[in-house]
Amino acid sequence: MKPYLCRIIQSLAVISWGGVILYFYSSGRMNHYLAPDFRPIALAGGLGLMVLGLFNILTATQEVGCGHDHGAEGNDVHDHESGEMHPFTALALMMIPITLSVAWTKDKYSPTALARKGLYDAPVSLITPFLASSMPKLTLKEIEETHRKTPEGFLQFNLMELFFATGDRELQSLIDGLKVETEGRWVAEKVRNPAGSRKRLYRLFMTCCAADSQAIPIILEFGAAPPEFPENSWVKVSGTMRFPLEEGELQPLLIVDSAIAAEPPFEESFMRR
Amino acid sequence: MSPDSQQHFALAFLSILFEGAPFILLGTLISGFIDVYLPAGMMDRFLPRNRYRAVLMAGLLGAIFPVCECAVVPVIRRLVKKGLPVSCAITYMLAAPIVNPITALSTWKAFQGQGAEMMTCSRMLLGYIIAVAVGFIVLRLPLRAVLKENLVASIEKDQAQKTAHTHETDHHDGSCCGGGHDPQGHSHAPESGQKMVAALRSTMKDFVEVGVYFSIGVCITALFNTGIAPGAVWLDSLATNPTAAPAALMALAFVLSLCSTSDAFIAATLAKFSWGAKLAFLTFGPMMDVKLLFLYQSVLNKRFIVCLAIGLFISIGAISIFWQNLIFQVK
Repeated sequence: MKPYLCRIIQSLAVISWGGVILYFYSSGRMNHYLAPDFRPIALAGGLGLMVLGLFNILTATQEVGCGHDHGAEGNDVHDHESGEMHPFTALALMMIPITLSVAWTKDKYSPTALARKGLYDAPVSLITPFLASSMPKLTLKEIEETHRKTPEGFLQFNLMELFFATGDRELQSLIDGLKVETEGRWVAEKVRNPAGSRKRLYRLFMTCCAADSQAIPIILEFGAAPPEFPENSWVKVSGTMRFPLEEGELQPLLIVDSAIAAEPPFEESFMRR
Repeated sequence: MSPDSQQHFALAFLSILFEGAPFILLGTLISGFIDVYLPAGMMDRFLPRNRYRAVLMAGLLGAIFPVCECAVVPVIRRLVKKGLPVSCAITYMLAAPIVNPITALSTWKAFQGQGAEMMTCSRMLLGYIIAVAVGFIVLRLPLRAVLKENLVASIEKDQAQKTAHTHETDHHDGSCCGGGHDPQGHSHAPESGQKMVAALRSTMKDFVEVGVYFSIGVCITALFNTGIAPGAVWLDSLATNPTAAPAALMALAFVLSLCSTSDAFIAATLAKFSWGAKLAFLTFGPMMDVKLLFLYQSVLNKRFIVCLAIGLFISIGAISIFWQNLIFQVK
């Protein structure tokens, strides 16, 4: 293949990757894929790829030397451009997975995939030293001072605090029995629910990207048939927080007084900061 | 693949790709500019004359001349031909993809929230120790036990020609070598604009080559990450086994053939695996994987490659397990 054709094909592959990154960034869909501090890096990467590809496509026909020796006998194959792979093979391997992924993605995981990401796991199995250390050391007075109280007298907690309190004896003893309000996505409870009186509320915790996200769930106990909400819709619940031992594992369980539909928050996933 | 599986695969694939692609671009930009702007003899000047000190120093050269494992093989092939000691070249080849600022930055970014500083420092340190240890071993081996036969012959021929050339001629016009190359240090340098074009072409070529392997690696990772791959359940079952987990992730690193500038983003998603297993993944992968197996054959002899692979597997696995136990005991 002629060198300039090879350069054009490689440029197309680079421009395509850059274009996809820039499209996801500019459309706001990038928020579903990357944590906030990775998004500017992705933008810079996308722009860089576009510049690299366009520069090479515009100079594809230009013949240049590299300024240093290539061996006396020609057996030192110091080639700056020829790759190990045929350019069309490389183009296909770079383009097919990304094209299919752009066509297939719905910017979210289904409950089936979330089950693999800890939706039904006990809290203790997911705690990392960082996550444990990120929880505040509080007294009951500090809890009341740092959490807003609703007119009905419920302290507003984020789901992550309630979830990780399960693995923190000190925090758990403070929160146990408190009247709290929290919000998250509403899904069916598929374990330990013989009476059908339970649901599960979760949010995603994203460290860097969607692939490393973990589901952070709590159990909702209604004592009777739960109200009807669409699967995966955002729901605000209030009630009394408990941490019962079930099948040998502590579980975060909210005995629900009320549940209402809620608007999705600005950032769906919990981020590091 | 069911529509549900397609959706999961796509989300995982795109998120890892968006996260890793900018770092690959950064790495290939630097390697592209090194390729064109760095004179071949430059690295020799950084090394001490003492052979052991030179190996110790070669393990740190990646901090000054950062290149990923794909780019380093052609570089050391050239450097060996230019007279860089083989022990230093092998040490640089193994260490540079790990002990360099780009890899440090990407590891630190990827492991935010998972002990980023400890993982980054451990990775650099383990990579350096292993590379230097291999360098010391290579110091004691004859050239033919390490390098490909035709490369050894080529080096010997070059050295013979160089000696004759130095003794017989004292010229600087390049007429002895037909022009276009610089055995005595002169070069027919093009204009800086042309060099820029050459550097960006080299960058693009490196990006496409690494991008292909990255794309395949991300596909496989996304399949495992979402439980679609047939071995995903089996791999998960090994995650809590202290001995099998590092071995399993080293095998995965070998198969995935990821670039060292972006592999941390994949390791960080392997949430069920221990810290030590991820360290083994991050150290073994840049030193030995499927693509390197092919690339190494352009420089090293096959027997040495096999010994190197086995030695790296055992030593990195053992140190990772020991290191994890030590850290968690201290904590």
